[in-house]
Amino acid sequence: MKKTGSGAIALLFVTLVAATLNVRTSAQGGGGRPPDIAGEWRLDQGEDPGQPALADYLGLAFNEAGRLRADTTPESIWGTPEYQCRPHSAPHQWRGVGGTRILKELDPISREIVGYRLQFMRSLDRPIYVDNRPHPPAYAPHSWSGFSTAEWEGQTLKVTTTHLKDGFLKRGGPQTSDMLTMTEYITRHDDIMTIVQVVDDPIYLDEPYVLSITYSYDPNAGPATENCSGSAFAENGGTDRHHVPHFLPGQNSGIGEFLKTENWIPLEAARGGVKTIYPEYRAVLAGTSTLAGITVPVSRTANDVARRIADQSPRDGQVHVLPVQGNIFMLVADGTNITASVGRDGIAIVNSGPAAMSDKVLAALSELAKAAVTPPMPNTCFGANCPSAFGSPAWSSPYFNALVTAPRTPPGMRYVINTSAAPEHVGANDKLAAAAVFRRAGGAGGFGGATRDLGTTATIVASEGVLAAMSTPPNKAKPAPTAAWPSETFFDEFHKLSEYVNGEPVILYRASAANTDADSFVFFRHSEVISAGNLLSTVSYPVIDTERGGTIQGVIDGLNHILDLAVAEYRAQGGTWIVPGRGRLCDTADVASYRNMLVMIRDRIRDLKKKGMTLDQVRAARPTLDFDGRYGSTTGTWTTDMFLSAVYKTL
Amino acid sequence: MTFPRLRVSVACLSALLVVVASTVPIDAQRGRGGAAGPAVSPRQAAPIDLTGYWVSPVIEDWKYRMVIPNKGVFGGIPLNAEGQKVGNAWDPAADEKAGEQCRAFGAAGIMRLPGRLHITWQDDTTLKVETDTGTQTRLFAFRPTSAAGVPAGEPTWQGQSQAQWNVPGRSLKVVTTNLKPGYLRRNGAPHSARAVVTEYWELHTLPNKDEWLTVTTRVEDPQYLSRPYLTSSDFKKLPTPAGWTPTPCSTK
Repeated sequence: MKKTGSGAIALLFVTLVAATLNVRTSAQGGGGRPPDIAGEWRLDQGEDPGQPALADYLGLAFNEAGRLRADTTPESIWGTPEYQCRPHSAPHQWRGVGGTRILKELDPISREIVGYRLQFMRSLDRPIYVDNRPHPPAYAPHSWSGFSTAEWEGQTLKVTTTHLKDGFLKRGGPQTSDMLTMTEYITRHDDIMTIVQVVDDPIYLDEPYVLSITYSYDPNAGPATENCSGSAFAENGGTDRHHVPHFLPGQNSGIGEFLKTENWIPLEAARGGVKTIYPEYRAVLAGTSTLAGITVPVSRTANDVARRIADQSPRDGQVHVLPVQGNIFMLVADGTNITASVGRDGIAIVNSGPAAMSDKVLAALSELAKAAVTPPMPNTCFGANCPSAFGSPAWSSPYFNALVTAPRTPPGMRYVINTSAAPEHVGANDKLAAAAVFRRAGGAGGFGGATRDLGTTATIVASEGVLAAMSTPPNKAKPAPTAAWPSETFFDEFHKLSEYVNGEPVILYRASAANTDADSFVFFRHSEVISAGNLLSTVSYPVIDTERGGTIQGVIDGLNHILDLAVAEYRAQGGTWIVPGRGRLCDTADVASYRNMLVMIRDRIRDLKKKGMTLDQVRAARPTLDFDGRYGSTTGTWTTDMFLSAVYKTL
Repeated sequence: MTFPRLRVSVACLSALLVVVASTVPIDAQRGRGGAAGPAVSPRQAAPIDLTGYWVSPVIEDWKYRMVIPNKGVFGGIPLNAEGQKVGNAWDPAADEKAGEQCRAFGAAGIMRLPGRLHITWQDDTTLKVETDTGTQTRLFAFRPTSAAGVPAGEPTWQGQSQAQWNVPGRSLKVVTTNLKPGYLRRNGAPHSARAVVTEYWELHTLPNKDEWLTVTTRVEDPQYLSRPYLTSSDFKKLPTPAGWTPTPCSTK
């Protein structure tokens, strides 16, 4: 009996030990269950401690463009109104001081993890979706933290991030383009979390930037919150809200400054470059070889930037619809953006798109218009709560059921607004204006035009210059069909539509001598949406038609005007949305980035011109080098060379 | 008062415990998924293939790794007062003279130095990591070092490394002890003989198909560090041995 008992005790004990070991194995991820990465994580800064010095490019595989961009971008750019609340951009977040907090987002029913939320000190919350959702289309807006999805690879969370704004790789100057992609591998080892970060930005780097960062689990840590308040403009000591601080090439006196104290570092290495980061560079340091004399195993990029830029403005013969805000939609019609206000009043569009796309644009607008007048939900209406045909009193649900299945006729076109006379903006004017249900007499506005026959087209609104360009084009070109001409024009600096459209004022602002002498942009004042026309493009340098009065300064002024009207929602993103003539939907920071680029290029070319350089000499100096990879082109209807020539000519 | 039967049971229990305890690591070291079957060697059980040639692009801490910083530049290393004092007494000439020019090339610091790794299996239970920088060899034993016939012996630059696969985690954990006092950085930031180096080795295939090895290192040293010193070092896999250039330890 006793023998049996002791054997049983031994068996029980062994079972307990085995069970304990099994539990331990499970806790380590047995059965493939991912580890818990949620919690408070502390960064001890064992690597690259402190803030990098100005112009410290050590370890960066900069190409020429990356180096020039960093050299010419001062830290005081943070003092501009549009960037004063800019958070750390995603590539820098893990390296920013203050630790991180990772929160799990759970489905309340299944309790499955559907996402994570990352918090850093100077950042917006960064969502990471693990529910297999796709990334947005390329013409969707970019943000400081980008759009992140993730999947588990073993016990590593692989995070893929796109749709990032241009920002910085680290403090001290190194910039990133908005075409970068970021991949992170987050792995928990016991109480340590290692993040391997891959930033692929071939615009500025010769190979992907791979960095690993290590955090320690610390329930008492967690990121502090950094508020953004006050006027950075005032703090910056400036008096010009449109001032863009930057260095002209070769004039950044901070380059090499930090080597006075860190004097063991050679200047050549501090300038960055892919050859300086491989062990082969030790031969250069030892004086047994030269930079040109070494070869290193460079990695290739996986980021097809040209394709990704083109995808922002797809020339695919289709119409793509992106909801913007309120009643406003962005339609991408074979690469040209149309802004549409669709509601119970009807449709107002800014620019009509290429003529060849008119049928598809009309079809897309018709679908949006149907949705605008169809009750958004199935019949949930009972008794006295149900609407009548024209409001209260209610007629009860049988009527409502009928209403659901027989909604009113979708409203038609009411306004066609043109921001310029460019063919892609006015090409479908006549056809779209003819889709009017709410008709007006062509060309006759106001009460003076009262008549039994209200006409057959929607009102076409544009500056007088657009009418002139369409009716009497230069060089004896053939005029546009009269049905496509603006019927309501203005000469003034701005023009208000005479009535609300879909519940809001619509105001056109002139942009004098910008892309041409006839440009304007349109502000939907309640929806907080600006349709920028050709002032803004995320796929090219601005088209400046000097033969028609276009100037670089006019484009910059127009962008500054947009920035004066637009307001960011929080931390320099969101808020007022700006629809560019081509490319992805933008916000204030995107417009500021584009404006900053143009100011930098203007000042560089002006400086070279002042020095007496000819256009060819300016070309040879490559003043647009650091932006060409993003906005330049050597082919097509608007090349870098044409842009550079236009800038030179109008300065 | 004696309990003979209980003593027998304790002996049986101990034996069973040994059996259970010794099988668990083997289970944990089975191939992907840990399927049941005959025990396999750590080499066969490897959830990731670390073998091959690897190069270390120096992207972070460039100024501390690619070149030797000035004496007293210890940024990032949590040296305590004693560690600072010892570090400030760094004398590379004296190290050379004493034949201790490999002080910065020990297990606690070697992964931070620019160079190439050549990783092979020495045998079924020992992973060998060679470095061309300093011409060092690290041996990761997947069984207790005593069982492998390696006596504790005198401390060495590379110490004794105990390795264990984390099969579901697809990573390798290595704990290294019995180190000679050496440097965490080439400018004399010290670690003592009491230092324990814990490493986690993981692989990732990047979007461009490059394979990268990341080694997360935690150095704990109650003598010279005020808290653990954490770093992570990255290596890119190379298709060929090209560039493999063994060089001796040097203080310069």
